[in-house]
Amino acid sequence: MAGNFWQSSHFQQWILDKQDLIRERQHDLAILAEEEYQKILIFFSNFIQSLGESLKLRQQVIATATVYFKRFYARNSLKCVDPLLLSPTCIFLASKVEEFGVISNNRLVQTCQAIVKNKFSYAYAQEFPYRFAQISECEFYLLENLDCCLIVYQPYRPLLLLLQDIGQEEQQLLGLAWRIVNDSLRTDVCLLYPPYLIAISCLQIACVVLQKDLKGWFAELNVDFEKVQEISRYIIALFELWKSYNEKDEIKTLLNKMPKPKVQQPR
Amino acid sequence: MEEYLRKYEKIDFLGEGQFATVYKARDVDTDTVVAVKKIKVGTAADAKDGINRTALREIKLLQELHHENIIGLIDVFGYKSNISLVFDFMDTDLEVIVKDTSIVLVPGHIKAYILMTLQGLEYLHMNWILHRDLKPNNLLINSQGILKIGDFGLAKVYGSPSRINTHQVVTRWYRCPELLFGAKLYGVGVDMWAIGCILAELLLRVPFLPGDSDLDQLSRIFQALGTPTEQTWPGVTSLKEYIQYKPFPGTPLNHIFTAAGDDLLDLIAGLLAYDPSKRVTCTQALKMPYFSNKPAPTPGPSLPLPYAIQNNQKPSLKRKLGDLPDGATQPKRLLF
Repeated sequence: MAGNFWQSSHFQQWILDKQDLIRERQHDLAILAEEEYQKILIFFSNFIQSLGESLKLRQQVIATATVYFKRFYARNSLKCVDPLLLSPTCIFLASKVEEFGVISNNRLVQTCQAIVKNKFSYAYAQEFPYRFAQISECEFYLLENLDCCLIVYQPYRPLLLLLQDIGQEEQQLLGLAWRIVNDSLRTDVCLLYPPYLIAISCLQIACVVLQKDLKGWFAELNVDFEKVQEISRYIIALFELWKSYNEKDEIKTLLNKMPKPKVQQPR
Repeated sequence: MEEYLRKYEKIDFLGEGQFATVYKARDVDTDTVVAVKKIKVGTAADAKDGINRTALREIKLLQELHHENIIGLIDVFGYKSNISLVFDFMDTDLEVIVKDTSIVLVPGHIKAYILMTLQGLEYLHMNWILHRDLKPNNLLINSQGILKIGDFGLAKVYGSPSRINTHQVVTRWYRCPELLFGAKLYGVGVDMWAIGCILAELLLRVPFLPGDSDLDQLSRIFQALGTPTEQTWPGVTSLKEYIQYKPFPGTPLNHIFTAAGDDLLDLIAGLLAYDPSKRVTCTQALKMPYFSNKPAPTPGPSLPLPYAIQNNQKPSLKRKLGDLPDGATQPKRLLF
């Protein structure tokens, strides 16, 4: 739906405050260092991305699923629901909401099993432990925790509009900025800032990387550049983290340390 | 979750549909009456798709829509494996009003209803949403005379007289010719045609085109408005399920709607234009002289209501509280 962002549930209910986010994560941050927490969320964003690609979903669906995942844990501890169960649940719900169609439950579970085995064996020694019945139950719980706010605005569309406004054929710039938007899903920015600002920030980073001088164009934008800079800092911090971080070596330890549900089944 | 059980006190059973049951309930905290729609989840067949897609669509859209003439989604809550949606409570609907022979609809009333419908629909269309199922019993009206577009997906809604027709048949009467000819690509025209039929029904006080099959529906449309040709509707013959009909000349609109003025006839003609690309949109319709000409639309509080609601009572046909399973609370505030 291309309705009005300013009147949307995304803007009115789901642009969170940094302080609230920190407070909500207190429980997990008593066990995990902030960076460790981020690494776990990055891992599951990668998992969602990989699952979505294996299911041949559009990036829009994958991005929505990732935002659902982040919104859920913005309100809940990691021990509420195993993120390995919540990830496919987010994909399943997002696919329906984005009108991509219902993913057959066998296909969903089989794809999870396949990618856990083939792509994420460095994190999980066992096979994917969940059945569809658990995903189905979890979906309900997810919907409730999202306060039924299902329409998520993504930075991709504003990004296209901005590039249209710049006017030139900027395939390279678009390609890079688009990928930075994908990367931004591994940070908290989608919880904290409206998507059009994220798009501007990603575009700006792309310009710096490609050494394109669009200062004049940026100067004419009537937006809060303070916020754009804040977003850029989150994304650059992510790039810095990636420089020295090897997921394959560390994630198993982190997943072991992660707070877990007490019982096998959620709720 | 138990807090929701306390928050909403069941007053009455309103109706049951394909994927939901609707109750009238009282919000204990604010002492307002609401409609709680409990969505059925978890039957074996549904379980493989997870949460019902139709329900999900309704939650998704209504969560984002806020307009005086669109039914408001007040709250959503889950209990066990059920999801419930809490809506504004609406006392009646346009179908009840049209059928209530004790109500006299004057031109100002009709203008008010159509105006509110078009305003709500314009907002929907501006948000790129097609309603696709407009009919008088989806146009809900509260005791302040505010009309709100709703779609409870119910076969039977509170206060609507039981009918032998299925849901499918009822909807057909408001279906536009391009859909009847099997068009797969369509736009706001499908809703505009339905508004045309509803407006006609307000004037005639009986359904304008009550076809009893899809073929009969087309034949009724053509008898009333003339059989379309490639000249009057370019492209009609290439529609997937196009069938050649006997050429009817059609009846001039002023012979069908003898009491309507020229401004109103222009609006009807715009809404019931054959070529979907020439059919008026909400925004165009709202700018037509009909809405600025006299008489002015009647203000909400002066609009007529069925006798039972005026007197703050339930219509007699719903007076069957005895068979409610868990002893729903009787409304306690009947004194006036």
